[in-house]
Amino acid sequence: MRAEQESEVVDALRWAHDKRTPLEIVANGTKRAFGNTILGEPLDVSGLAGIVSYEPEELIVTARPGTTLSELRAVLSEKKQQLGFEPPEWAPFFGASADSTLGGILSVDAAGPGRVRYGGARDHLLGIRAVNGFGAGFRAGGRVVKNVTGFDVPKLICGSFGTLCILTEVTLRVFPKPALSATLAVRNVSAPEGLALLRRVWASPLESSGLSYLPDRLSPATASTTGTALIRFDGAQEPLAEKLALARPLLQGMETDTHDGDEHFAPVADGSLFRDLSLDVWRVYVPPAQALPFLDEAAPAGWIADWAGGLLWVGLETGDATARTRLARAAARSGAQAIRMRGDPKTRNRSGIVEPEDAGLHTVLAAVKRAFDPLALLNRDRLYDDEVHDA
Amino acid sequence: MPDGVVSDDAGLAAYDGDALTAYRQKALVCVLPKTREQVSEILDYALKECVPIVPRGAGTSLSGGALPRADGILLGLGRMNRIIEVDLENRCVVAEPGVTNLAITRAVEQHGFYYAPDPSSQIACTIGGNVAENSGGLHCLKYGLTTNNLLGVELALLGGKRVRLGGRQNGHAGLDLLGVAAGSEGLLGVVVEATLRILPKPPLARTLLLSFGSVPAAGKCVGDIIAEGIVPAVMEFMDRRCIAAVEEHSHPGYPADAEALLLIEADGLRAEVDDAVLRIRAIALRIGATVIEAGSEGERDRYWAGRKAAFPAMGRLAPDMLCMDGTIPRRTLPEVLAKMAVLAQGYGLGFCNVFHAGDGNLHPLIIFDVMKPGELERAEAFGADILRLCVEVGGVLTGEHGVGVEKRDLMPVMFGEEDLAQQQRLKCAFDPGRLLNPGKVFPTLSACVEDGHMHVKGGRVPYPNLPRL
Repeated sequence: MRAEQESEVVDALRWAHDKRTPLEIVANGTKRAFGNTILGEPLDVSGLAGIVSYEPEELIVTARPGTTLSELRAVLSEKKQQLGFEPPEWAPFFGASADSTLGGILSVDAAGPGRVRYGGARDHLLGIRAVNGFGAGFRAGGRVVKNVTGFDVPKLICGSFGTLCILTEVTLRVFPKPALSATLAVRNVSAPEGLALLRRVWASPLESSGLSYLPDRLSPATASTTGTALIRFDGAQEPLAEKLALARPLLQGMETDTHDGDEHFAPVADGSLFRDLSLDVWRVYVPPAQALPFLDEAAPAGWIADWAGGLLWVGLETGDATARTRLARAAARSGAQAIRMRGDPKTRNRSGIVEPEDAGLHTVLAAVKRAFDPLALLNRDRLYDDEVHDA
Repeated sequence: MPDGVVSDDAGLAAYDGDALTAYRQKALVCVLPKTREQVSEILDYALKECVPIVPRGAGTSLSGGALPRADGILLGLGRMNRIIEVDLENRCVVAEPGVTNLAITRAVEQHGFYYAPDPSSQIACTIGGNVAENSGGLHCLKYGLTTNNLLGVELALLGGKRVRLGGRQNGHAGLDLLGVAAGSEGLLGVVVEATLRILPKPPLARTLLLSFGSVPAAGKCVGDIIAEGIVPAVMEFMDRRCIAAVEEHSHPGYPADAEALLLIEADGLRAEVDDAVLRIRAIALRIGATVIEAGSEGERDRYWAGRKAAFPAMGRLAPDMLCMDGTIPRRTLPEVLAKMAVLAQGYGLGFCNVFHAGDGNLHPLIIFDVMKPGELERAEAFGADILRLCVEVGGVLTGEHGVGVEKRDLMPVMFGEEDLAQQQRLKCAFDPGRLLNPGKVFPTLSACVEDGHMHVKGGRVPYPNLPRL
């Protein structure tokens, strides 16, 4: 089935409702491997695309969710603007070739290194139109940057993996594109030193827009690991020069080279370091100062760090149940949340994709799903094991 | 009477409303827990006995969010006022809900940090209330609202169960319940702990005072600054009447002859601030504004103290005041300001404008006298017209004060039936008995269970012209 208009999405939902058949919502399918494999009739929403309105002077853009990231970037770029959360292109990581769409990015709340300064997708999504599991089109949020009218449903939808509603239109806040950026690459630092350095910059008023650490080779060890700490600044010429100058004292005695631009961050953003490795890959959100204790306990096969240590990409031996248990325990102990990006196809359906599991939240999560989609027609079981409430 | 229970008439009178002063109502009983366990016990009792619960922080809500009910418990969280932990390594503060907004900054400023959201009531208003209302303030243009500075909460649900949403990290795995708990106006749960992000204090801030010969010129200046890609930390607008009132009240030294004034602050590192100031100055001069820069720290503090005192200053001019709170697209500022003046004439009421211009968040203050028959009603009707105007030009009913009881009946102006139905189902997911702060936000509460049906109302199906499959 295809839907290119909201009314066609409603039709598809009615069909699904009458047939009691769940739908798998797909646009370009770049993140089909993210989340549990699901059974359902594919509903192709890639045609629900195009920019509806773009008001550069208001710093907002309204687009339909099938709009590709590359199209949107090009349009914003003409006005020297960009999406602040630096949406990453994960298609190659997931082994897909097509362009990611805005809807897909928002559905998994994807954000790149810039999130450390500018916030995540959820912080930039101002308003939505969508169709819920009742087959009703609804609107939430607004089209202005400051709004507290009614529940902040857009935040809930961001990162919901298409399990609550099918987006038909989204309004995002945009930011001026910095005139220039520069990257400091600090070489041969141990993981503890490198992560501590990133946190020092993060706690300074330098407003760094990228703070990542790449081990020289992927390994479980932290203390004996050496690698490169990447620090990005942006701004007009003089402000940028000032930031670089002020950063220097923090880097005393370290082997540092300075580069124009920010291409060093590409492998941090797009997951390419893990692409060709046969590892299960988890995205771990962790309090930055707990990154090291987390890694020591989880002992993954490999890892890289972003957001001053607040985001870890972690690789586990494929299908290794013990490694997953270790990761869950380490996450619980260090106050982290982890979500599986890529998993062994043989084991992926037997367990959820979020760790640690919070049993206390189960009834709330189920009730929220029910409030949007009681028959679990939308991406059933993609994120959690969904219940079906048929009248 | 046990400790922390208020049930006598005089005691209840102290809790009979919030900063939306036209509405007063004594609660059945007021309870003031000291621990989260006590909050749970009260919420357990409420569910078992089917008693409505109204949570309250310091009672500074401007939308009636903490207005008690005659048949309900008022749950005052002011005694839960401990800062639990200052975690500089993870740049966050963990606090109980009754801690005041300003106390967060006070707890970390000696280490060079601060908490960015700064509602004008920040001396008094509490973090629990800030989270419930998703409060803003002067600095949200650059630093966001409460929700953008909130890392986690412990939320007590009806029935007493407590859940932890978020934590001390950025990002979430699974549904972002924290995102929807923030700004839910006490309708989903009661915040018993909040984890707030703190920011490194910018080393420099420069303040510019721009005065204009006309209101539309000031409106245009705002639009031009934003369109240039400049994001000042603060950009505030005041009109002539407000300038005069503030000048008389606290003598900040504002220009007496200006029709409108913009108070702008750029913060950050020196080169960035200097660059922004230079560009703002050029835009302002092009529009014909007079530009003054605060020359000293004292002068800068005076300018901002004047702005923060706008509300009390206006209060001295009139017996009563309504403070409205719509947001509009910035480009429509001149049009909306002109239309508001016409509306004011029609209602025969005075008003002034002071607002967060950078994000288009209007705060018209309507002046009236509640003792004069019909004036309160006229003022409310005028306020409602202003908010309708905001929605008409593409804006929203409330930018930071919340819907509460004040704007509840205007919700259908902005949202259709399906929009409100979806929000109410979400409410039901947390509170099927509709006991948490009932009567706020939604004009009517519909019944809660409708599983497995296509949405049908009054015998009509949505999209009746579509073929039924």
